[in-house]
Amino acid sequence: MADLRTLHDAILEGNAKQAAALTQEALAEGLAPLDIIQQAMVPAMDEVGRRFECEEYFVPELLLSARAMKAALEPVRPLLVASGIQPAGRVVIGTVKGDLHDIGKNLVAALLEGGGFEVIDLGADVPAQKFVEAVQSSGAGIVALSALLTVTMPSMKSTIEALDHAGVRSRVKVIVGGAPVTQQFADQIGADGYSENATAAVALARRLSQPA
Amino acid sequence: MRFELISCEVLFREMCDSVARSQHQINVRFLSKGLHDLGGSGMRRQLQQHIDDSPDCDAILLGYALCGNGLHGLEARRTPLVMPRAHDCIALLMGSRDAHAAYFESNPGTYFRSTGWLERGKTLQQLSSGAQMGSESLPALIERYGEDNGRYLYEEFTRYRQHYQQLTYIETGLEPNRSFEEQARTEAGERGWRFSKTTGSLGLFRQLVNGDWPEADFLIVPPGSRAVASYDHQVIRCEGDTP
Repeated sequence: MADLRTLHDAILEGNAKQAAALTQEALAEGLAPLDIIQQAMVPAMDEVGRRFECEEYFVPELLLSARAMKAALEPVRPLLVASGIQPAGRVVIGTVKGDLHDIGKNLVAALLEGGGFEVIDLGADVPAQKFVEAVQSSGAGIVALSALLTVTMPSMKSTIEALDHAGVRSRVKVIVGGAPVTQQFADQIGADGYSENATAAVALARRLSQPA
Repeated sequence: MRFELISCEVLFREMCDSVARSQHQINVRFLSKGLHDLGGSGMRRQLQQHIDDSPDCDAILLGYALCGNGLHGLEARRTPLVMPRAHDCIALLMGSRDAHAAYFESNPGTYFRSTGWLERGKTLQQLSSGAQMGSESLPALIERYGEDNGRYLYEEFTRYRQHYQQLTYIETGLEPNRSFEEQARTEAGERGWRFSKTTGSLGLFRQLVNGDWPEADFLIVPPGSRAVASYDHQVIRCEGDTP
């Protein structure tokens, strides 16, 4: 019998190879993909988030758990698609124009994927127009903007303006984050949401993906 | 007049030189560059503590820029606070935020070095919440997280380097010899980046310690108010009264 507790712990401890192998094992034994996700993966990532909030986990541990979660999801994903189960949402993510920092953005992208979102990662130093095109071509419901420099934060504003000018602003929820970004700034530029850290960004994306 | 200068150690040589030439009496406290690793609010809390511990004087001078919102929310209690309007110390070393912005625009993907960054700031981490990211070295990460995970983390932590193409050494004229420039040149070579040198300026340092604070370049926060990020060309502004 596949041991979902061990899978849970493998993700929590950031053991990607073991997490992937245990998921394969569970699937081979006929466990339903959704059961594996709901009984092992989601609780594991919730615990990762809790440990991060309590400062028991830091960025390296988050990265490792997100990587293990991704590895565990790999064999499950095609089965979800085949059975018509939709992702939690589709997110276009990138670090804004002028800013080359990407660890925070990568972390959020990995945690969103771990949280069941389909993520379109545009990378770092992304011009506003590229976000517009990605929204138009992917039909994403969420745009996640990252900035690590106060000097590049105005690029978040111009990206939102570009979405507006292209007529797609009302179709998407824009969320912003990065070390110097604040709720006050998010409100000032008309973003739909702000998150102080990577784990809270997943909860925020979930909240904004709910139908109104 | 008597000033209390609280400055980042990255600006050690520029500040020492300027203080030595100032007509004012200035107490100096240099704080660890590691303050930046605490994130905006963590850095602000520590700076506020140092401000609150300052002896009576005519003004408290801050040898910082907005530094990732590390100055956002700082309160002037009994004594005015004075700080240059700039996003980071690169603008201070270049002499103005306009000079920095112009350089930033025409030299994308540039990493900067100065004497302070070379002798004190090389290990500054990219992420503020990296309290446990003590070392970026591959052997250290492997020892701590195992072979596979250690390599993965090293790749993640160093990936940003691929986005940079150039290392620019900012020369302020205080250098005792060419050793700093050579260090910067060697580092650029090791990382596979183009090396460039630009002439900095001590102007903002001199003005800060000389009490020459034009509004366009400096923010003076009167007692009872606080400094907040303005997200425009002013960079920082004063806000309201504090209890």
